[in-house]
Amino acid sequence: MSESVREKIMAVSFHGTARLDPRIKLFMLIVLGCISFFINGDIPELMLMLAITAFACAGSAPGWGIRMLVVYLVISYLNTCLKYISVPGISLLMGIFGVTVLKMIPIVTMARWVLKSTYMDELTVALERAGMPRAVIIPFVVMFRYIPTLGIEYRMIRNTMKIRGVSDTIFKALIHPFATIEYILIPLLMRCLKVSDELAASGTTRGMERENKRYCLSETGFGLGEYVTAALFVVYMVVLVILDRSSIGQYVFWRQG
Amino acid sequence: MIRFIDFSFRYDGMPEDALKHINLEIKDGAFVLLTGRSGCGKSTILRALNGLIPHFYPGRTSGKLLYADRSLLEMNPSETAGIVGTVFQDPRSQFFMTDTTRELAFGCINMGYTREEIIDRVEKAVKELDLETFLNRSIFSLSSGEKQQIAIGSIYALSPDVYIFDEPSANLDHEAIRRLTGILKKLREEGKTVIIADHRYYYLRDLIDCALYIENGQITAEFTREEFCRLDKAYRIQKGLRAVYPEKEIGDGFKKPADKGSNNKKQIFRVEGLSFSYGKGANVLDQISFEAASGDIVGIVGHNGAGKTTLISVLTGILKEKAGGVYYDGKKLSPAKRRKLSYLVMQDADYQLFTASVEEELVLGMTGVDRTLLDDTLDRLALSEYRDRHPASLSEGQKQRVTIGASIMKNSKILYFDEPTSGLDHDSMIRVSGLIKDLSDNGAVIFLVSHDLEFIMNTCTDLLDLDPDQAEMIKEPDIRSIHNYSFRAENS
Repeated sequence: MSESVREKIMAVSFHGTARLDPRIKLFMLIVLGCISFFINGDIPELMLMLAITAFACAGSAPGWGIRMLVVYLVISYLNTCLKYISVPGISLLMGIFGVTVLKMIPIVTMARWVLKSTYMDELTVALERAGMPRAVIIPFVVMFRYIPTLGIEYRMIRNTMKIRGVSDTIFKALIHPFATIEYILIPLLMRCLKVSDELAASGTTRGMERENKRYCLSETGFGLGEYVTAALFVVYMVVLVILDRSSIGQYVFWRQG
Repeated sequence: MIRFIDFSFRYDGMPEDALKHINLEIKDGAFVLLTGRSGCGKSTILRALNGLIPHFYPGRTSGKLLYADRSLLEMNPSETAGIVGTVFQDPRSQFFMTDTTRELAFGCINMGYTREEIIDRVEKAVKELDLETFLNRSIFSLSSGEKQQIAIGSIYALSPDVYIFDEPSANLDHEAIRRLTGILKKLREEGKTVIIADHRYYYLRDLIDCALYIENGQITAEFTREEFCRLDKAYRIQKGLRAVYPEKEIGDGFKKPADKGSNNKKQIFRVEGLSFSYGKGANVLDQISFEAASGDIVGIVGHNGAGKTTLISVLTGILKEKAGGVYYDGKKLSPAKRRKLSYLVMQDADYQLFTASVEEELVLGMTGVDRTLLDDTLDRLALSEYRDRHPASLSEGQKQRVTIGASIMKNSKILYFDEPTSGLDHDSMIRVSGLIKDLSDNGAVIFLVSHDLEFIMNTCTDLLDLDPDQAEMIKEPDIRSIHNYSFRAENS
């Protein structure tokens, strides 16, 4: 390994669009969320999803981007099929559910990409520069760090439930849905309380609460790349909204005879 | 120099002082061990030193606590962070970043150092503590011992003068403890002040300058290193202390159940050619075969990564084997059947408590309830007065007893315990050992995964060693085999 220790410390594992300042990423995520629910036409929605996939691909996460694009297309197709089946009551519910899921996909794709491609220290420094108080930043960071743990904790709890014979089969879980949720949530919450207490102690003793300017390990900040991306992004969103209002927005895919 | 001058502390809402009139002087560069029973006040002393008391744990202080003639109590934790560094017990809940390199830099970033300085400090920590292979990895991919090394590295980068360790060996195996000892030796050579609170201290016997025994919030005894290492056994047991040289006490261990033959019909638990791998990877468990009978207590030993947890998961039926089989009483058991017959007591009781009262917890998942058995179980485990309490309000030891109670109610014939004594003091360890022996007397076959040598020696009848290529079951191990195991761990 010819890389020196110093080089390793300074290395980053995500490149391209992932190196944008976290503030831009968060801004894009929020605006995107709103636009996703705002537009209705099939074509603008698809354009939105394609743009996000391209963005993720340019940010070291092509697998994730393309997988979610496929999921999007499948659900879009299923939604359309649903329109042709008419079961009173359920059809309406399924329709609303389907549309909501479809609109969530771009948001989830972008959100997870932001989570994975942003280093926590960059996020902390970026939020600090944006003027957020420590009281907001700290819980934010803890949440980001705890989310991956949830999966691990959930699996441990499910294993214990299997051994105890509590909601261990799908059948039992479906018969007692509320009890099942309770059995999962209680240990999860207890662990959460314990871990957050210990985390807070560990962070406090390492200066987490200090009110001084912070620098992060890798370079971030607002530069030409950020301004250009922001400008292009805003233009693209405006175009999508205009298209949605025009006749193109009326076009429907997957026409079934 | 650290000075406690008539220092007392009471936690908010508690009726009694946790620390009473502590007078103590710790010179720069000293290496001090704090020990005593659970709840004696060792952790409280540590919290006073790192600023968590009174800012994080509110309460009433009296007396003085000085560092280099400045009052530590008047400093808030943000100031203390650069002077005193703390490594906590559970490596899993100490890290803030998801990436190891960022975690090493976490403290430095908080202190407001420039980017260049942060890189310099992290580089020094990586080189001095030999952490190069851990850079740029996800923290979730590290073992407990490795996570703790990163935690220490993160503190090292801050270069405090005082290092505090709160029960650092609780979640570590022998290999990780050996590495910890190496790091502690280095800190000592650099002239840092090191204060460690722990129940297990065999790894510190060549490093400490003195040992303080804390009892009910007071320092009731002080020993030099020589005195501590030569403590009389009877005195030690009376004070609830573990051995400093556990491997020398091997001769007294391995108590077998009084009469194994009392349970006339003995069920045989047999494993044949058991193999398992995750996905298409290499076999984690390879052709494991062994036999145990009801009444046996089998200690499963081996370094971290040998597959102990995986073996337990397969045996309990949580995971399905890729080859081989598990047989009980002559019949092959499918994973579902194994789950029905088995019970697993995990290291962390919090994963296993689901209901709002102890009584509900014991009968969870059961169709018919035997009330006499319930009352009897609560009695045996000293939980009768807590039967209506919420499990979350109990102490760790009590929570563990609740989970053991559930296994008694379920009448499980095959029991598994995963590190039941991590972080327990001597008295609690003996108590758990006694409980397990009781359970085996009632005809269960019991498997223990543990790094606690004293506990294994006191409890087990057999050893299942996963380290050799072919897992080896040592029936009625003698002095030599335990010696081999413990010294293999020490010299690896």
